[in-house]
Amino acid sequence: MTDHALMSWLPQLAPAAPAWLATLQAAARAQVQTQIAAPDAEAWRYTSLNHLLEQGFVPIDETITALQPDDLDEVLIPGLASRRVVFVNGRYAPELSATEALPPGVHLDSLRDVLAHDPDAVRVLLTAEPATVPLFMALNLAGLDDGLVLRLDRAAILAQPLELIHLSIGLDQPSVAQPHHLIVLGDGAQATLVERYVSLGAAVYCTNAVIEIQLGRDAVLTHERLQTESQNAFHLSGLSLRQDANSRYQSVNLGLGSRWSRTELLTQFCAAHAECDLRGLYLAGDDQRIDYHLDVNHAVPNCTSRETFKGIIYGKGRAVFDGRVVVAKDAQKSDAAMSNQNLLLSPQAEIDTKPQLEINADDVRCSHGTTVGQIEPEKLFYLRSRGISAALARRMLCLGFADEIIHTLHSETLREHLSEQVGQRLESAPWD
Amino acid sequence: MLVVNGLRATVGEKEILQGLNLTVNPGEIHAIMGPNGSGKSTLAHVLSGRDGYTVTGGSATFAGQDLLALEPEQRAHLGLFLAFQYPVELPGVNNTYFLKAALNSIRKARGETELDAVSFLRLIKEKLKILHLDESLLKRAVNAGFSGGEKKRNEIFQMALLEPKLAILDETDSGLDIDALRVVADGVNALRSPERSMIVVTHYQRLLDYIQPDFVHVLAKGQIIRSGGKELALELETTGYGWIDAEGLAA
Repeated sequence: MTDHALMSWLPQLAPAAPAWLATLQAAARAQVQTQIAAPDAEAWRYTSLNHLLEQGFVPIDETITALQPDDLDEVLIPGLASRRVVFVNGRYAPELSATEALPPGVHLDSLRDVLAHDPDAVRVLLTAEPATVPLFMALNLAGLDDGLVLRLDRAAILAQPLELIHLSIGLDQPSVAQPHHLIVLGDGAQATLVERYVSLGAAVYCTNAVIEIQLGRDAVLTHERLQTESQNAFHLSGLSLRQDANSRYQSVNLGLGSRWSRTELLTQFCAAHAECDLRGLYLAGDDQRIDYHLDVNHAVPNCTSRETFKGIIYGKGRAVFDGRVVVAKDAQKSDAAMSNQNLLLSPQAEIDTKPQLEINADDVRCSHGTTVGQIEPEKLFYLRSRGISAALARRMLCLGFADEIIHTLHSETLREHLSEQVGQRLESAPWD
Repeated sequence: MLVVNGLRATVGEKEILQGLNLTVNPGEIHAIMGPNGSGKSTLAHVLSGRDGYTVTGGSATFAGQDLLALEPEQRAHLGLFLAFQYPVELPGVNNTYFLKAALNSIRKARGETELDAVSFLRLIKEKLKILHLDESLLKRAVNAGFSGGEKKRNEIFQMALLEPKLAILDETDSGLDIDALRVVADGVNALRSPERSMIVVTHYQRLLDYIQPDFVHVLAKGQIIRSGGKELALELETTGYGWIDAEGLAA
C-alpha cells in the first residue's frame, strides 16, 4: 500500500474553515496516516486495497450543473412517492432535488450551507471520533466537503419517505467524491430514509460516503440503502449510528452494483431499551467484490440488536461478511442475534464470513449462525417437474432466498423494483 | 399413452428396477402397490426425471416420445405430472407466482399463448373452487409451513391447474389422517376424465377405497409380479405382503 494514493484523495483544506474543523480534519488526516502505516490487519484480512489504489482517484472541485431534471428519469424508481435530495458526484444539487413543503420541525440543509452560515451547528452534529474511526471514515472526515444535514425536532414526523440519491457521472479523470451526511432525530421523531447510490453511464469513479445518525429517545428511523451503481464503480460507505433510550433503527442494506465495494456499519447503544435491526442482501457476480463489516456495540444494558445478512455469489464474485457484536461488561440483558446465509452458484464464487460475538456480560441472550450452501437439487427438481426451465427455476429459488430481506422494504414499489433488479442480474449469471 | 418396457434402473450400485413392464392407456387408473423398498417411488422418480438414478436398460415411451431422453420440464410439457410424496417447501417463492410460471412455461412450450394476470387469476379461482380450497393459499410461499394435508392438497391443486395427461401420485396418502385423505381423494376424483390417466403409488389399500383403480399391480424387487383388478387390492389388505419371498417371487 502506498500512502500517496490515498492522501491524494484529500482536497486542500478550505482556508476559511473554523478552527475546530481544522483541528478535527487534522486529527482525521493523522488517523489516515496511522492506518496507512499500520493497517488494521483483521479489518483488511480478506480485502486487498490494490485494485482501488491503482485507479488513481482524485477529488474534483467541480459542481456539475449540466444536468437537467429529465436526466434523473433513468435512475428514479417509478411510483416511489417521496421527496428527494440529490447529490451529484458528492455535491448537493438543489435543482435536481424536490424538498418542498417539509412538515413542521423538519430541517433539511446542505452541509456546505450550514458550514458557511452556522458552522457551530455542525460541530455538535459531528460525533465521529476522528482518532478512532476506520480508515475510510477518517479519510472522508479529513476531506469533509458537502453532504445532507437533516434535523428533525422533538416529535417531528417525516411520514413520506425521503430519498437521498447519490448520482455519479464520470469525469475525464477518475474522481472520488466523499459526501458526509448528518441525520439527527430528536426525541420521539420519526422518519423513513431511502439512501440510493446510482450511476449515469459506466465510467470508473469512487464514492466514499459517510452517514452519521443520532436517534433521540423514542425516535424511529427506517433506513433503506440501495447500492445499484455501475459495474465499474468503486463504492465505500460508512454508517455511524448512535441511539438513545427506546429508539428504534431498522435498516435494509442492498448491495447489487459496483465492481468493488465495502460497507462499514458501526452502531452504538447509548441508553437502555433501544433496538437496532440491520438487514442486508448482497449479490456479487462476475468479477465483483462486496464487503460488509458490522460493528455493533452493546455498551449499555437492555438493548436488542438483529443482524441478518444474505448473499448470492456467482461467477467469480467474492463477498465478505465480517460481523462483530460486542457486549460490554455492564450491558446485562443484551439481546443480539446475528445470521449470515450465503448461496454460492458457481465453483469459483467465494464468501469469507466471520461472525463474532464478544460477550463481556454474563446475563445476555446472544446467538450467531452462518450458512454457505448451494441451490438444493430437490427444490430445483420440484420446479422443473412443473414445467419450469432449469434457468428460471434457479432464478426463482434465488429470488425466494433474497425475499426474506427484500420483503422487509417499506414499500411495495421498492420491493417489486428490487426483486426485478435482482432477477435481471441473475438472468446473466452463469450457472457453472 | 405410457409404455414401460423392461425398465431397469440403479441407485449407485444397487439395481432397484429390474425389468419392469407397464402399459397405461388414456383414462385408466393404475394402482401400484408393494412393500417398502420394492421400487415404487423409484419408478415414480425415474418416470419424472429426477437425478440420482441411472437407467441401465429398457424403455419408457410417453405420448409417442422417448420419455427417458427428456429433461424433467420437457416431460411436464408433454403432460406428465408427479404429485410428490414429500412436497418441497420453497420459502420466499410465492405460490401464485410459482403456479403462473409453471402454467405459462407449459403453455409456451406447447406453442400456446401465455395467460395474462387477469385470465390467470380467473382460472386459478375456478380451480380453487373445484377443490374447495381457500384463496389464502395463493398468497403463501409454496408449501412453506404447510401442514402435511395442506401440502398434499397443494399438489392436487397444481395438478388441477396444469391438467396433465398422466399424473403419478407418489404415496399421496402417506402422513394423512382419514379426513385429509378424503379431501385429497375427492380432489383427485374431480380430475378424473377419459383423457387423463393416473398411476397411484401406495403402500396401503385404504387410499383405493377412495380412488377406485381400474388395475392394481404388485411391485416387488423391481418387477411387477402380479396384476389384476381392484379386487387384488382387497386381497392384499387381508394377506399383506408376507407372501412375497426374499427373491420377490410369489410363494
